[in-house]
Amino acid sequence: MKLAALLLAIGFALSASAASAASLAVDLKPAGSNPPSPQMGDTLSFHTVIRNDATTPVDGLIAWISLVQIDKGKEQPVDLEDWSAHKAVTAPSLDPGNTLETDWPMRLIQSGKYRVVVSAVSRNGTELTASPFADFTVRQKPVVESQRVLPVVIGLPLLIGGGMLWRRTGRRSGT
Amino acid sequence: MSATSLIARKEAGELLLSLRGLAWLMAVAVALSIFGLLLVSNTELSLLDNAQVVYDMVGIVTALGGLLALVVGLDAVAGERERGSLVPLLLTPASRDAILAGKLGGVAIAWGVMYALSLPYLWAVGSTGQNLWQGMLVLALLGSPVVLGFGFFGMALGARLASARTGLLTGLIALVLSVSPLLLGPSLRQSTIGGAFDAVNPFSAAVNAYDAVIIDSQTILAQWPHIAVAIIWLILALWLARSGFYRVVR
Repeated sequence: MKLAALLLAIGFALSASAASAASLAVDLKPAGSNPPSPQMGDTLSFHTVIRNDATTPVDGLIAWISLVQIDKGKEQPVDLEDWSAHKAVTAPSLDPGNTLETDWPMRLIQSGKYRVVVSAVSRNGTELTASPFADFTVRQKPVVESQRVLPVVIGLPLLIGGGMLWRRTGRRSGT
Repeated sequence: MSATSLIARKEAGELLLSLRGLAWLMAVAVALSIFGLLLVSNTELSLLDNAQVVYDMVGIVTALGGLLALVVGLDAVAGERERGSLVPLLLTPASRDAILAGKLGGVAIAWGVMYALSLPYLWAVGSTGQNLWQGMLVLALLGSPVVLGFGFFGMALGARLASARTGLLTGLIALVLSVSPLLLGPSLRQSTIGGAFDAVNPFSAAVNAYDAVIIDSQTILAQWPHIAVAIIWLILALWLARSGFYRVVR
């Protein structure tokens, strides 16, 4: 009898958890102002709508953004430390039918193909709710441009060398 | 024209218009050019690395400036003594403070020219990245007291030590020790001894401020503890130079 009650309790708990996990829905869309072909240094923004589809409030909501590089041979998670200062959002409670809208700006640091996803969990939920993927490609931007660097790194020593030559010639002609 | 400005112009003129002085500037320009050329050949830099490039170059400029100021400061006293021109200078009606101020002015003008020389390089490697102008400003604010302090320190050594060679060796050892944060990794600097050294080392103060402003995008005003260390170093070195210069009798 006790065993049956225990199994029944576990069953209720599992069904409650499943209901809690399914209660959240996360929608992710790139902002309309994003450049069509972004390059390093540009800023992109993504907009999420987190909705509580259940009939009970969701408490202790946490949502965070993740970025992975998907270039062939360079697949890796990206540390957002340098990309964005806005990496997570929290809400103490989300009532049934209510939504939490968030913008996620990020500065593009490195070229490559990337996939962004926003995940959400709640205090009592046992599963992760993830948004659809949003993919984007960052074009390479020359960081140290040779056409700007070369005139300086060659020109200045030549200029000083010319000054030395002029001083030397002037000294000889003066004596 | 006052004795101070006359001496400052003479010191700066010797450094900037003579062949010897131009060779100094050439050496600095070549060092910065080699660094720039190394960067051009690197195609794997990210935007963050661009800030790192500016940070590295600002650190190199400060180290080269410290070396320049140390040698110029040392030469202003010990070099003059070995060339036999210090005693005639001391016998002029100009006060020792005026002579000292003139020589300090020469060091300051030399640093000013070197700072100006570094600006095109900083612009060339850093104009597509972040915090370039802040980097230039923090180099002026933090680099100047650190570099000038080494100039005054060189003068103090030149005044106190009998030979210019001994003074140069001592000064170079002190300079290398001071610029060690550029060579040491962060883990070594975070140890107890490394942290204590960082707290009193003026060069560390400058480097830490560069890091905070250029890479971490912090405000320059927030760097006041580092600025305070650099100013204390400047005042201490000035006091050493002045007290040493007043002891010079030959």
